[in-house]
Amino acid sequence: MPTGLDQLQHIVVLMMENRSFDHMLGSLKAVDNRIDGVTDQLNNPDTTGAPVKPQPRAEFQGQLDPDPDHHFPAVDLQIFGGNRASDRQANMQGFVKSYFNQRGDVQHSQKIMYYFKQADLPVLTTLALEFAVFNRWFASIPGPTICNRAFAHYGTSFGRVDMNPFDVIEPYKSIYTRLINANPKRTAKVYYYDTTSSTMEVVNLLQNQPELFGTYEQFLSDCDKGLLPDYSFVEPNYNDHETDSGEQVANDQHPDHDVQAGELFIAEVYMRIKRNPKLWANTALLIVYDEHGGIYDHVVPPSCPPDNFTASANNTGTGMEFKFDRLGVRVPAILVSPWIPKGTVVNRVFDHASIPGTITKFFLGDYAARSPRELNADVFLEPQSSPRAGNNLLSLDSMRTDCPEFDV
Amino acid sequence: MAVIHVPRPSPKAMNPNRPVSSLLLTQVKHLQHAERRLPLRYRTEIYTHAIRTEGEAATYIHHVTKAIHQAHADASGRRKEGRRPKRGKKIASAAAKPKGKVRKKAAKSKKKTGQRM
Repeated sequence: MPTGLDQLQHIVVLMMENRSFDHMLGSLKAVDNRIDGVTDQLNNPDTTGAPVKPQPRAEFQGQLDPDPDHHFPAVDLQIFGGNRASDRQANMQGFVKSYFNQRGDVQHSQKIMYYFKQADLPVLTTLALEFAVFNRWFASIPGPTICNRAFAHYGTSFGRVDMNPFDVIEPYKSIYTRLINANPKRTAKVYYYDTTSSTMEVVNLLQNQPELFGTYEQFLSDCDKGLLPDYSFVEPNYNDHETDSGEQVANDQHPDHDVQAGELFIAEVYMRIKRNPKLWANTALLIVYDEHGGIYDHVVPPSCPPDNFTASANNTGTGMEFKFDRLGVRVPAILVSPWIPKGTVVNRVFDHASIPGTITKFFLGDYAARSPRELNADVFLEPQSSPRAGNNLLSLDSMRTDCPEFDV
Repeated sequence: MAVIHVPRPSPKAMNPNRPVSSLLLTQVKHLQHAERRLPLRYRTEIYTHAIRTEGEAATYIHHVTKAIHQAHADASGRRKEGRRPKRGKKIASAAAKPKGKVRKKAAKSKKKTGQRM
């Protein structure tokens, strides 16, 4: 009987914005003890020294204003609790202190510890319980959006830890260029929501290779017609705007955008793939968040082999250089396929470099010109020929027929 | 398995007047970086330093994204046109069109409007 991996032809990555694992999926610890979510033992001190526990009081909108700081120095404080000694240990004790720095309001700073109840997020929590949820998927850098998304596109941020435009440095190429230049040629597309939302990878991809891009409407149509490329990267709507078809509410879930709009978006992407039976059978969908957005998570990000680049003390803003030898804060990540056993919990360590790492290994095989970080990143789909094929998450001999449906 | 209901966002979720976030300002900055490399005729006249709301950022993002696509599409069109053997003749006939007269007429009508006021 062929397994799902033999059938697999399309990989779709949907990257959302700025929410931590504990904030979105932490409630699932109470449902399945294998899921490393929140417990009553966790806390963070506020600026008076009082311990603040995670509480299931997160709201869809209006609570995390101002947007919690998630630039490199703030994340350093969140992870190390404000300790800058050379022998310091990460302790995840600085989230409340960091949020206090923005408004100087002790009560408000405690909201950074809030998480969603399972019933608040029926889409994300259902998919996590029904398919494969990753207990150890981390942002690639303890920093903001652009450099973390760079890891998803290139397997490196080329030494950047900030939001500035970056230059692509040879020999490293984007995953899209690798695929379309391959022999035999592969196909790849970045689907942004629409031209008014556009992409977060403007300076290199959009500016130089606009032909790589399609809209969300085209994604939906490509799903229906069975025209998805080998690899699709889907971006949410990053802003509220109006179009000829009406109001388009931002659905990226970036604070202070509405979290329910993001739930609806995730459900739409999932259902559109599922409604095409042929596509459903041969597609794997990864839902992942680019970084934690300054919101509390309790798992210490592990160290990792350094990249070929170093961010100077001036660039990090912490007075210390960074060799890209530690991952960022943990984020939600779920792999969806009807070939994955229900209730799969993955404990291996991943980060966004695992995305180009997996796509390259799966579609192209050996490919040397990749960053040290990408070469060292674990992959979430092992080719059948790999000696690690036993790690394959699409392990069922027959396709599931009990997968959830959403009313979208 | 029963179909799971997905709650719709509140109608209050939509707010283009929300103060622009640092993420959107970054996106604007990157698009401005790209816009500066576009030929002049594709550029917007939007002053990005004055962008204060999400809706204003969205307008700029839309125009520059469209312009980047258009500039590439036009370049691709010219590339294809360049392969045609009759390219020279086309340019000659285009040059012969009385564009100057049209401009003069437009200028005159503007003057007239001005006199009426």
